[in-house]
Amino acid sequence: MTRANAYLRSALFLLTALILHMALFSDLRVLGVAPEVPLAIAVTAGLVGGPERGAVAGFAIGLGIDLYLPTLFGLSALIYTVWGYSVGLLEQRIFRSAWWINVLITAAATAGGLLVYAVLGELLGQANLYTDRLYEVMGVAAAYNLVLSLPLLALWRWSWPRHLGEEH
Amino acid sequence: MATGSRTARSRFTLIFLLLSSATLLTLDARDFEPLQRTEETLTDLVSPLRSGADRLFEPVGDAWTGITGYDELEAENQLLREELQKLEGQQILDSDAAIRLELLLDELGLPYVQDIPNVVAEVVTANIGNFDRYSVQINRGSEDGIRRGMPVVTRGGLIGRIDGDPGRGYSQVALLTDPNFEVGVLVVGTDDVALASGSGHDEPLTVTKGLEIDTEVAVGHEVVTSGVDRSRYPPGIPIGVVTDIDFDEARLLQLLTVAPSANTNNLSFVTVLLYDPLAGES
Repeated sequence: MTRANAYLRSALFLLTALILHMALFSDLRVLGVAPEVPLAIAVTAGLVGGPERGAVAGFAIGLGIDLYLPTLFGLSALIYTVWGYSVGLLEQRIFRSAWWINVLITAAATAGGLLVYAVLGELLGQANLYTDRLYEVMGVAAAYNLVLSLPLLALWRWSWPRHLGEEH
Repeated sequence: MATGSRTARSRFTLIFLLLSSATLLTLDARDFEPLQRTEETLTDLVSPLRSGADRLFEPVGDAWTGITGYDELEAENQLLREELQKLEGQQILDSDAAIRLELLLDELGLPYVQDIPNVVAEVVTANIGNFDRYSVQINRGSEDGIRRGMPVVTRGGLIGRIDGDPGRGYSQVALLTDPNFEVGVLVVGTDDVALASGSGHDEPLTVTKGLEIDTEVAVGHEVVTSGVDRSRYPPGIPIGVVTDIDFDEARLLQLLTVAPSANTNNLSFVTVLLYDPLAGES
């Protein structure tokens, strides 16, 4: 597979994930909490493809979801970019991880990402982000993304096979 | 060497993306019009795909809600059965109350909402994330005459307002339950204009400003939009019924708890009132 094909696959994967998140996953709520698929996409991209691809995937899916959220346009993109990059860097420098560590990282990064999103959003004047319900949302979404991380990691490996190289 | 250049490139990419995000945030905060137009175009491009996927997965979502919310549905059914019995028993009283409200609105010279041009819209998506509990998206937008701030109602009364600039074929509705939502209200039968605000999901509204302590208000009184000069809501839209009264002795004000007359959960269709009190002034 050529790099061009890999870029095409990645773009297709991101678009499909965005559509599926809005049409399907946002309805599959547990305790009123939906999975944070876009955040999981950014984190797993970092885990599979390294910091640069994590940042680019996070930025792209963040912009996509920002189109539909009432918060400021660019807020999700900013946070998912940082998260995709940081997780990619951590994985590369520290973990070099087994599959189960990647799964745990996805869950922990989801909880952390939501906290940062709420705090930064409130600092930027967005209402109703840091609420009493935030910790419940973090816990359930982290558990949800823990389950989703395995197929997402596999899909990233499909869209960007190892022989094309990680951007480490 | 190669690793070093890749690291430098990934840092450059990160900085570029961060600056891009920060620029977008700033432009959006300043309501930069070209950015909003671009957002609309992108949303319109994805819209057909999204609508198709919505229709395709709707049964799955419904089935999931049925499974995970079974206890809730059962409790809701029980509550509805009890309410129905009460309603049947009080039919005469209820019709009296409706007539009384109509008469009072007449006395106050409040025009009826039905006279205002309106657009019926379908709720295409409730919240898609975990932080947007107080908004829904509808399938009508600027090409239907909808503008920022227009009131949105159902048969029960006011449920919210158009939030931000609508797209060509869609709009975002900020719901009445949003703790940041404020609306000027009038307790029917009084002259005091007060301010009601949302208190969160499934919580009653509160009136904490504007109602003098000596104004005669009783539990059961109807609350409607005040429609005072330049208000973004026309007068007389039902808001709810007073369920509790408290007093702020320090500020000499009455604090009301108001049960909303319209249900903001499980919305299917809503009506946007094409009401713009400031139209023609600019």
